[in-house]
Amino acid sequence: MVPVALQQRPARQPKTRPSTPIEPTNAGSPLERGDFLARLRDRSALRPSFDPNLPGGLRAWLEDGASALVATRGDDAPPMFLGPRLLLGQPGATASARQAGNLPSQLVLSSLVHALFTQLVTIGSIDDPLTDALDALSLHPNKLDLVHHINGLDRRARSALEADLACHVAHLTSLTPAFLPGWLPRTDDRVAIALAGGRVILGGVFDLLVGAPMPGQASVCAVQLTSGGPWAFARAALHYLALLETLRNGSPPYRLALLDSSVGRYVTEDIQEEHVRAMAAHVVTRLTNLGGHHE
Amino acid sequence: MNDPISLSPLTAALVNPLRVDHCTVTAAAIARCSSELSSLVAHRSGGGPFRLTDYVIRNALGSSEAAPPQVRFSWSASTARRSIGLAALRSLSEGTTHSPVDGVAFVIDQAIGDVAQGLRPVSSMDEWLANLSAAGRAAVQADAITWCTRLWTSVQFGAFATPPTIGRDHWWDSPQSSLLALRSRAEVRSTATGAGGKPVSVHLVVLNGPRRATIQSELSVVALVEALRTSDPLLPGRIVGWWPDSGRFVTLDVVQATLSAGVATVARTLTSIGASQASNSAATEAAA
Repeated sequence: MVPVALQQRPARQPKTRPSTPIEPTNAGSPLERGDFLARLRDRSALRPSFDPNLPGGLRAWLEDGASALVATRGDDAPPMFLGPRLLLGQPGATASARQAGNLPSQLVLSSLVHALFTQLVTIGSIDDPLTDALDALSLHPNKLDLVHHINGLDRRARSALEADLACHVAHLTSLTPAFLPGWLPRTDDRVAIALAGGRVILGGVFDLLVGAPMPGQASVCAVQLTSGGPWAFARAALHYLALLETLRNGSPPYRLALLDSSVGRYVTEDIQEEHVRAMAAHVVTRLTNLGGHHE
Repeated sequence: MNDPISLSPLTAALVNPLRVDHCTVTAAAIARCSSELSSLVAHRSGGGPFRLTDYVIRNALGSSEAAPPQVRFSWSASTARRSIGLAALRSLSEGTTHSPVDGVAFVIDQAIGDVAQGLRPVSSMDEWLANLSAAGRAAVQADAITWCTRLWTSVQFGAFATPPTIGRDHWWDSPQSSLLALRSRAEVRSTATGAGGKPVSVHLVVLNGPRRATIQSELSVVALVEALRTSDPLLPGRIVGWWPDSGRFVTLDVVQATLSAGVATVARTLTSIGASQASNSAATEAAA
């Protein structure tokens, strides 16, 4: 079993972060954000190497599951896009529940918190949380329904949302370090792995990646944000993303981190081959079940 | 000399020499393609001119149910990321900046500064950026950083024999007909060694969306335009299409059949445009 570090921190009020990034050499300082950064950096020079045949083996395994699904749906069916919610079975995550006008409050909050996390990583500060998040989301055409939904809230609901958001932002600002440009931080990195000749597509989005992919070596660190909901699901979703990254670049991330903005805790863990193999087994089972072939 | 073992798969696909038995396209074949293209638009109903971009071709080759609804272009985080990301990549390649984060910030600051000072004609994107709030700008910046980083970390830019040209679109205007122009979009262009040791041009095209059956046709038009451009003394040797989402790429070594496929793709696109125009005209008449 891999050791997992769990930290919980008291909430703080939102404030502007200093523009000077925390230097890697300060990672062991008592600064709160430095704690998280230190956990990401700890023993990071020891980059594990993975079996170069691992991605090919995983892909072949997943292709078996995808072929079972395609056999049921037919060759001519449109591509099926599968993400962590469907594959890992998060409750209440059906498409109908996410339609415009019927947006679950958790989805609204999650979208806002993610937008603010992106802003925090990118420019290091948040001014007015709700205004900033809406400004950011309005630049993504697929989020306009959400923006209209929030703009249509009555004053009481909007105030409640602002209060919720302030709590999350307080945790985010206390935990999220400033990443040096040389660490190559990038947010919302989309992964899409096609199986069965493009008929089944496994997709997901890394909230934050740091480090450059290196041939034959695990060299990327992935940070994922959860704004509430089942912790186990969030962790499984991160393992699922690690599986997709293995298929994309040949190695999984060497380290995963999960930030929970609802309570201000985080966990870091080193990824092992058994993690991605276990996730692949789960996805294959799920694909087979979606195809109606219960074993 | 580059060690081929240390190259990323995508870099190797770009810089590796072409096969020794690779048959480069001939001048006569290129002239024939040019002639065939002009004849495609000579007697075509629907007028023209036809300025075919990769976007137009992709939509024309797709099935009708897959075609996106016609929406008016507007700037957004996703439509701006490539332009900003390429400019950042150029600054990185030239050594002006040292990371995608710095490169993107440099490009955005420069755009906003130009608008504020009115120093030179500014683009619509620059004006749009200048009018965004700090939070909106950060969202654009974040998308561009991700776009730029994925390309910067996947291609080893120092591995090319000649410094790569980044983000320059090429247009070919038919010399026989003013009605036809074709665009070749490629994010990175450089050279590799062709058959007989002669340099040939290589082109990296960043792709979006799912892998599709028509991708070879789409890339063949890039090869066709590169062959037709008389201003470039190098013949096209290889086109590589790459999906950053999946890390997969397709490689197209350019031979005569590639150019023929390019001409056929243009013909199919023009037919599709004609059919679409006829359908729209019929709908308008019916409504009247």
